[in-house]
Amino acid sequence: MAPPPPLDDPVERYAVELAAALRGPAGARERLVVEVRDGLAETVAAYEAAGVPAERAVREAVAEFGSVAEVAASCQRELTVAQARHTARALALTGPFLVACWWLVRGTGDGQGGVSGFAQQVAVQLSSAAAVAVVLAALALAATGAWGRWLPVATERLPAAVAWTGTAASVAMAVTTLTLATAAFLAEQWPLTVLAGALAAASHAVVAGSARVCRECARLSSREPAVA
Amino acid sequence: MRHDAVRGHLDGLLLAVVEPGPLHGYAIITAVQERSGGALELRTGTIYPALNRLERVGLLRSDWEAVGQRKRRRYELTEAGRRQLAEERSAWRDFTRVIGAVLDPAPVPGAATGAAT
Repeated sequence: MAPPPPLDDPVERYAVELAAALRGPAGARERLVVEVRDGLAETVAAYEAAGVPAERAVREAVAEFGSVAEVAASCQRELTVAQARHTARALALTGPFLVACWWLVRGTGDGQGGVSGFAQQVAVQLSSAAAVAVVLAALALAATGAWGRWLPVATERLPAAVAWTGTAASVAMAVTTLTLATAAFLAEQWPLTVLAGALAAASHAVVAGSARVCRECARLSSREPAVA
Repeated sequence: MRHDAVRGHLDGLLLAVVEPGPLHGYAIITAVQERSGGALELRTGTIYPALNRLERVGLLRSDWEAVGQRKRRRYELTEAGRRQLAEERSAWRDFTRVIGAVLDPAPVPGAATGAAT
């Protein structure tokens, strides 16, 4: 394991403060912080190469680069979109599982000792909601990808919409898990119901965590003034 | 030139400097400053998220370049980026022609003579 960077190095300190101010997918956040840190280090080196004393070189470089708060605001907007895409992908991947599980369970339950009538009603509602969430997630992925060239306004508002769609879907997944766990006691084909419930629980864990970070990101971005 | 004045044109500036070939972030910043003769006041730290955004929407692509012990990210134009740059250039020329015609109208031949008589 690499030793932690020396915090008496002002460039490393800048990078650590920047990383602490940012929320979003770990990979995207690390990549941005590394790029900013390397760019700042190169700016300092350029000043030093021009004969500027080390301390002043750091001050000049940071003044040129922007304060941690200024750079963090720009980085956070991009990370918020990255997190929205992460949440949308989680929804797009888990939603179809959920719909499939419900319809599978519904198909085994029609008067053959399968899931209860209540569970079947819940199945219809939640599978419809999951299908809508999947469509919204696919649209969000398109709007923040190549369509983003033509929809800059949409990408400003989408992260919050994705965050709350993900939150609603994760609640639906939790309800699904509970309903299926209860239905498993009544169903003849209980292994299938248990399997569907386990998938719903796993989907809930993935989507709920991503949606929570997405809500944090959207809140941070809405607070920051636009600087770039 | 103040940062605010540059804001709406940042994408075009970044696409233009990577047009000749792949560049890493710091080289892009240096190229923008050199081409502008140092007249653009950019918060250069904000260039990196802008590059990430341009890559996300498919106007740039990037790869890692090994530099000694470390790696750094190089950006280059995609085909969509070239088309976007051509559109930005065309829109900018139209804009400056129209605004220029209003702010600095060319003298109409014979207008001064006509007014004097």
